Amino acid sequence: MKSEIILSGIGGQGTILMGKMACSAAAKKGLNVTLAPSYGQEKRGGRASCQVVISEEIGSPVISAADTILVMDEKSFDDYESHVKAGGTFIINTSMIDKKCARTDINVIEIPFTEIATELGSAKSANMVAFGAVVKTLNVISVEDAEAAIKAKMKPELVDVNIKAFEAGYNFK
Amino acid sequence: MGEKVFMQGNEAFAEAAIRSGCRYFFGYPITPSSEMPEYFAKKAPSEGLTFIQAETEVSAFNMIAGVAATGKRGMTATSGPGFSLGCEAMSYMSAAGLPSVVVYVMRPGPADGDILASQGDYFQMVKGGGHGDYNNIVLAPYSVQEFADCAPLAFELAEKYRNPVIVASDGMLSKMMENVVLPDRTEGPGEFEGCVNGAKGREHNVITTCATGPQQWEQFNLALQSKFAQIRDNEQRWECYNTEDADIIIVAFGTVARIALTTIKIARENGLKVGMIRPITLWPFPVKAFEGLTGKEFFVSELNAGQMVEDVKLAVNDNERVHFYGRLGGITPTPQELYEEIVKQCKH
Repeated sequence: MKSEIILSGIGGQGTILMGKMACSAAAKKGLNVTLAPSYGQEKRGGRASCQVVISEEIGSPVISAADTILVMDEKSFDDYESHVKAGGTFIINTSMIDKKCARTDINVIEIPFTEIATELGSAKSANMVAFGAVVKTLNVISVEDAEAAIKAKMKPELVDVNIKAFEAGYNFK
Repeated sequence: MGEKVFMQGNEAFAEAAIRSGCRYFFGYPITPSSEMPEYFAKKAPSEGLTFIQAETEVSAFNMIAGVAATGKRGMTATSGPGFSLGCEAMSYMSAAGLPSVVVYVMRPGPADGDILASQGDYFQMVKGGGHGDYNNIVLAPYSVQEFADCAPLAFELAEKYRNPVIVASDGMLSKMMENVVLPDRTEGPGEFEGCVNGAKGREHNVITTCATGPQQWEQFNLALQSKFAQIRDNEQRWECYNTEDADIIIVAFGTVARIALTTIKIARENGLKVGMIRPITLWPFPVKAFEGLTGKEFFVSELNAGQMVEDVKLAVNDNERVHFYGRLGGITPTPQELYEEIVKQCKH
């Protein structure tokens, strides 16, 4: 079993946080995980992405082509559209990306993360809607373990809204 | 054996160093090494540590020299520009026999550069950096686990040979998170013969790098060189992967070696017999790893314009069989990219 994931967006959108949560949930199951973050020198507004490998073996933390890629902004869309493995999944944040994926050899999932989060009462939870969509696609981490990871990372007063956001992303049709 | 924790490279090293009896941290924050000073600062009150943010790396490295002279375990962590400032102290510590540990988190240079991964400081670490005929022992881990394991090892080697030890990390390994089992708690010896820990009831000890006159200075240097010869004989470390049946052997350290693990797999799935030699000590360079490997091609890959490749060429002694592929500026090659480059460059 091996799953390679890239999560990419702008600093502040929570892509690295999502990666950490996915890893701690997968590590709990005894799987080997690596999270290689990458961000620029900018305090705000720069690229923030991470490469996550969840695997039974130990290998490269750098990904040649990913099974799942989540893009939170247009620049990430442009950079990573071609990096999805054939048969893989490309998850697009349509709240911020006004583009259509041209590839026909991959699964494309379009979700307006911010609108969904806003409806639930917290636009800031858009990344947890995204995390739900990622966990659903991966099919490696259980909902319980993912929610435990959210609880471990969030202040108690923020847990409920973020779990709601996570579930909305997980159940998005 | 302890419990597995999911941890970042820098924090895992800092925790492992504390568990290895490192009670002093002197440093100046610089990305991508800053989580180490942060970790020590945070733990200082509960662990009874001494943490000082120096005004510059010149001071931080000299503070390390000072604490090392007392026989206590101390460390610093830095990146390119900071290490350049500390180089004078590195030369002094090696000459004076002061056991210290420095984590060098390489980022792309020269000058300010960027904050991602690089291995462009191989020459600076391995060929000296400071002035004079001296060497640093250089350890190059390739996983968060090995990074953490290097903490106790670095102190032991520093004390055994009375020499600075550099642990070579980079902007990827230091920031990477993975599962790690942290080492058990140990303490350092706390003193060595001739250390300066208070002269009550005895003659005072003097640690010096001074010798007057060329004859004495030559003797001083010869003694140093015999220390380095001993390290060269005893401490070459490396790991081999599928080298026995391989036609092509990747030579890579740190982050690139980690990436190349997957390259070996891709190559073998495509019918190409590829293996790897992964130097764990960059100095002493593991020349012994190359003995008896006749007829094989070597593919050296580094995050620089070609530095370790010079040591590989010296070890192999046949430039025709040594190929090189480097990436610069903070770019890390993918496993597939390395495989394609092997196909392009190698004759097999």
